[in-house]
Amino acid sequence: MPDSATKRTEGAQKPYVTALQLFGDYLLMLLVPTVLAVYYYGTRVLAVAGVSVGVAVLTEAIFSAVLGRSYYLRDLTSLYTGLCIALMLPAGVPFYVPALAAAFAVAAVKMPLGGSGAPIMPAAAGFAFVAVCFRAEVFTYTLRAEQKLLGAQSLGALLGGGNAMRLNAANLLDVLGGNVAGPMGTGCGLLMLACGVYLLMRRPRALLATAGFLGACMLWAAILPRSNGGVLTNIVLELCSGSLLFASIFLVTDHATLPAARLHRVIYGVLCGVLCMAMRRSGVFEEPVCFAIVLGNALRPVLESILPGGERTQRKEARA
Amino acid sequence: MKEQTPGFRVSFLKSAVLSNPVLVQMVGLCPAVAAMTNVRSAVLISAVLCLDLIVTCVLASALMKRIPRAVRVALYLGIGLALICPLLYFIETYTLMNLGLSIKVYLPLLAVNAVTALHCEKVAVKNPVRTAFSDAAAVGLGASIVFLIIGTLREVLGSGAFAGIDLDLPISLKGLSLPFGCFILLGFLAAALQAFSPYLRQAQTRETDAQPAQTQPAQTDAQDDLWSDILEAEAVSNERLAALDEFTERLIGGEEDAQ
Repeated sequence: MPDSATKRTEGAQKPYVTALQLFGDYLLMLLVPTVLAVYYYGTRVLAVAGVSVGVAVLTEAIFSAVLGRSYYLRDLTSLYTGLCIALMLPAGVPFYVPALAAAFAVAAVKMPLGGSGAPIMPAAAGFAFVAVCFRAEVFTYTLRAEQKLLGAQSLGALLGGGNAMRLNAANLLDVLGGNVAGPMGTGCGLLMLACGVYLLMRRPRALLATAGFLGACMLWAAILPRSNGGVLTNIVLELCSGSLLFASIFLVTDHATLPAARLHRVIYGVLCGVLCMAMRRSGVFEEPVCFAIVLGNALRPVLESILPGGERTQRKEARA
Repeated sequence: MKEQTPGFRVSFLKSAVLSNPVLVQMVGLCPAVAAMTNVRSAVLISAVLCLDLIVTCVLASALMKRIPRAVRVALYLGIGLALICPLLYFIETYTLMNLGLSIKVYLPLLAVNAVTALHCEKVAVKNPVRTAFSDAAAVGLGASIVFLIIGTLREVLGSGAFAGIDLDLPISLKGLSLPFGCFILLGFLAAALQAFSPYLRQAQTRETDAQPAQTQPAQTDAQDDLWSDILEAEAVSNERLAALDEFTERLIGGEEDAQ
């Protein structure tokens, strides 16, 4: 059943939530940036999202049939994975990119690693795969670039070149509202804040990881700025560039990859944030947040075993 | 010479398929993951691995049964290096083949491959030379088949070419040329093998049941002579080593009594 993984990983949280409730909430939150993306980029957004979601659902249905399992669309995880991937891509991306990302996320990550309880976030892995395979297509933002604040240049590319922009009342709304070239559904910081407030009401403990993640990113941006702008400017530009805020709400808080203990969740978020900022500073990709999250997912069991309250610490205490 | 050793089909099914060194035992992954990005490197590495495996296993079975394990393992590696280093020099010098950097690094490392050490130690030194040979050949073949599949898939899907010939594919997935892509492909191949393994086990059981009724094919005279010479030398060597062991035991026993 699709709910088993949710029950297993959400063991500490009572009462249990079903996958329908959980991913229903996430899909509801994802609809808002989708609508904004349609406003900014037109109906092509719907076509990209449709391809991504359709391929994700189809792949899962085929995989389930091959393995002789029943497929439940009401599980919603494949819809969520497909839409997440689509919103992290540029609106003008060729259709085969979201299709391959969704197929990879479901066929190579989600299904082989245990379905909805997969310990690696499928959407992050799918995006990371296409970022490696089609780097030019994934990080080129030319659709409706003439209407954007910096033209076809994204904030990530701006910071990557060691440059900054002076923030003022005129352009701050564009930056926070996502009217800058970038992924089609992740640039609006104000919307992400609204999604965070909704999540705070629905699943407050999941936001511990978000707090750790954003705290680490902000601290890193303040201590090791990539541009010569002021501290506040650097923090705002780093947070609003790429998919960082989106990842902090939708990817870091994934139910199956979050540690159970509160302290572990915060430290897991910090780990993902530090990895992301380190990769932004010295990596080759403009937006490496998905790589950081996949790496954080892989390191989570180690983190849980060595931290206070983890398995290894408990064994040592029992021996003493 | 006729003796009741398992036939090659049984050995192949067991060592190459059901206990495939790469997909089941998960040994020898290093060259597959790092260097095998095209068909040419897959063929080269497979051929060298088969040669190293067969020669080392046959020598281990014929000559090393009485040598202590710690020395034996070092000898396997020594034999591998003595075989592969001149071979690499020959390939580079005389065939003028432009080996890539990764091949130059990973080909000599095949000498210290876990597959060779594992099969020499687990099978070759405990069995007659024929069994060791058939096991080494089956294992080498099993690993080579996987290497060729991986090399072909990575080159076709990752670079859009086959054996250096451009296929003009509209899309190429560069990620599959990277190590993580190889791990994913290996995972899918291992899963496919696991899915078919119940049927293969049934086939193996049928083959094994039918084995006593079969007689081994007659060897030619030259082969018989070779085998008998090897076995005779092995028997003499075993007798000498047994006598040495007996003498050592007596010596130690005498010292213990004196104490």
